[in-house]
Amino acid sequence: MLQIDHLCKNYGKFQAVSDLTLHVPQGDLFGFVGPNGAGKTTTIRMVCGLMLPTAGNIMINGVDALTNRKEIKKQIGYVPDFFGVYDNLKVKEYMDFYGSMYRMNSREIERISDDLLELVNLSDKKEVFVDTLSRGMKQRLCVARALLHNPALLVLDEPNSGLDPRARVEMKELLLNLKSMGKTIVISSHILAELSEMCSSIGIMDHGHLVAAGRIEDVMESVFGNDQLIITLDGGRETAVRIASEYAGVKVNSVGEHEIRLSHTMTKPQIAKMIGNMIEHDVVVTGFHKQEGSLETLFMRVTEGDAGTGSDAVTEGDAVAEGDVSLKGEKENAAESNC
Amino acid sequence: MRLNPIVKKDVRVQSRSMKICFGVFAYVLILALAFFLAMFVIEENNVYSSENIYSQLVWLYPILAVTQLIILGVIVPVRTASSISGEKERQTFDIMMTTGMTPFSVILGKVMTAIVQSMLFIAASLPIMALSFVVGGMSWGYLFWFFAIALLVSFFSASIGIFCSSLCKRSVSAVIMSYGFYILFFLVTAVPAILYGIYSVNLLYANGVASSRYSYGENAYLPLMLNPAVYLIEFFTEIMTGESLVNEIADLGVIANVRGPIRLVTTGHRWMIVSTVLFLAVSFLFLWIAARRIDPVRKRVKKRA
Repeated sequence: MLQIDHLCKNYGKFQAVSDLTLHVPQGDLFGFVGPNGAGKTTTIRMVCGLMLPTAGNIMINGVDALTNRKEIKKQIGYVPDFFGVYDNLKVKEYMDFYGSMYRMNSREIERISDDLLELVNLSDKKEVFVDTLSRGMKQRLCVARALLHNPALLVLDEPNSGLDPRARVEMKELLLNLKSMGKTIVISSHILAELSEMCSSIGIMDHGHLVAAGRIEDVMESVFGNDQLIITLDGGRETAVRIASEYAGVKVNSVGEHEIRLSHTMTKPQIAKMIGNMIEHDVVVTGFHKQEGSLETLFMRVTEGDAGTGSDAVTEGDAVAEGDVSLKGEKENAAESNC
Repeated sequence: MRLNPIVKKDVRVQSRSMKICFGVFAYVLILALAFFLAMFVIEENNVYSSENIYSQLVWLYPILAVTQLIILGVIVPVRTASSISGEKERQTFDIMMTTGMTPFSVILGKVMTAIVQSMLFIAASLPIMALSFVVGGMSWGYLFWFFAIALLVSFFSASIGIFCSSLCKRSVSAVIMSYGFYILFFLVTAVPAILYGIYSVNLLYANGVASSRYSYGENAYLPLMLNPAVYLIEFFTEIMTGESLVNEIADLGVIANVRGPIRLVTTGHRWMIVSTVLFLAVSFLFLWIAARRIDPVRKRVKKRA
């Protein structure tokens, strides 16, 4: 659906976006995360035809976004991070205005607007002036507006910024609803917990570079690995450490009062055997589990700048398809950059 | 024909605002004051004159018409200068640029809105304007000419305003810039003629007689074709007297050039026709530049093409 190749944006000597390559498949809900100034909004603006890239290509639904702008405008629905509304304009007139901008006729606009306002839960606000709506309602109205011409790709830049918790939940539900309808959505946000609940794949940007991209679980695995084990104990700590150390490929990372943390290369039966061995030697094992990483931890880890380099999970290819993870360090990116 | 969505929306939004009511009120009030002032002056002059007062009342028409054109010339740039920068300030511009509208249709929509608003003011002024027809004994054909010139003034002022709006991020700077541009237009087009005029007068004093020799320097009068003041004076002279002021001046020996472009345009009604075409061309040029300015990816398309 969305294919970005070697995209760069320079402001003088400053590289806002550097050699960004990304693929968002059809029907995906793709989350763009990154600290302020990472280049998310710049990328989104280039995708939406609001900014000229210094280099690179953007294809949307097989159409070159930089040369076929007329066609691309039909393919994209854009919801900016900050947007204003016109005073003295009612909700249905707002929809009518934007519908006619897509050269839709009045009847068509009315029919589609009714459906969309119902979808965003604003059916009862049709006769209300737009400037009197709450921020959350305005945001949902903006999503409805962006969907008027039935675009193939919906792009939302920080849609949850400034929203109260209820409005955020409503927005999340709306986006999940759209996802279930098969819409391809690209969303940038700072609220990582929500993104992890909504998105099927993510891209993490830092200093203009895409440092990690792919399905959330794949990116997590590539960063945290699948080999972290936490064993909780209620006695026999020294024995447990001794037994664990006897197994090949096991490294004890930390020993706490009631838990030990291991990194290992063992298979599941080998882990079961090791735990059984500990129990046989009177170690009171109260539990054990794989170390889980959150999107927050992942974000913090990869934006530190040391994550991707040296990781086994780094893949050579640029395409981020299902199960495929692109994880790159800053230096690596800088070396490859064609900006 | 499909109505430009921007015109439809802007007219709808404006019609709900009290600003437009106050605007129309102020417009009609100024015009009424101009009417009463003109009547007072005409009457005062007539006290010491044996001439019939009705022969002087015909001047109500150009007085009211010029007053209206000046007001339009002042308010239209303000309206359009804040149109694009206003969309940027309101943060609605980006959304507009991602819709199916082309930059030129956005620009055209804004200009059309300004013209529609001008027409509203002119329509509101009709009762006062009608007085100049009733007491001044003018024919209704003059009203058509007035509408035509008001349209041109609105279009030209709007194009300057929108051009400045596309250059500035803030509405205030765009408004100031458009007035600056306006003044510049008056001055720049007049300066070559003034300089050549001074030179000719000096020559006249030196030789004691006006030169009738062919001179390219006389073409310095040509930029006056784009001078709004000269245009209005010529227009109302032709309307009121049926004569061309430019022709008269040229025939007085100010322009001795018998073959060059200056003689060509100072013959018959050509000055007004060519001048009108030039004003329209310059207005479209401003609109085209403004459309290019607001197009976010214009360079890339050109490069790739």
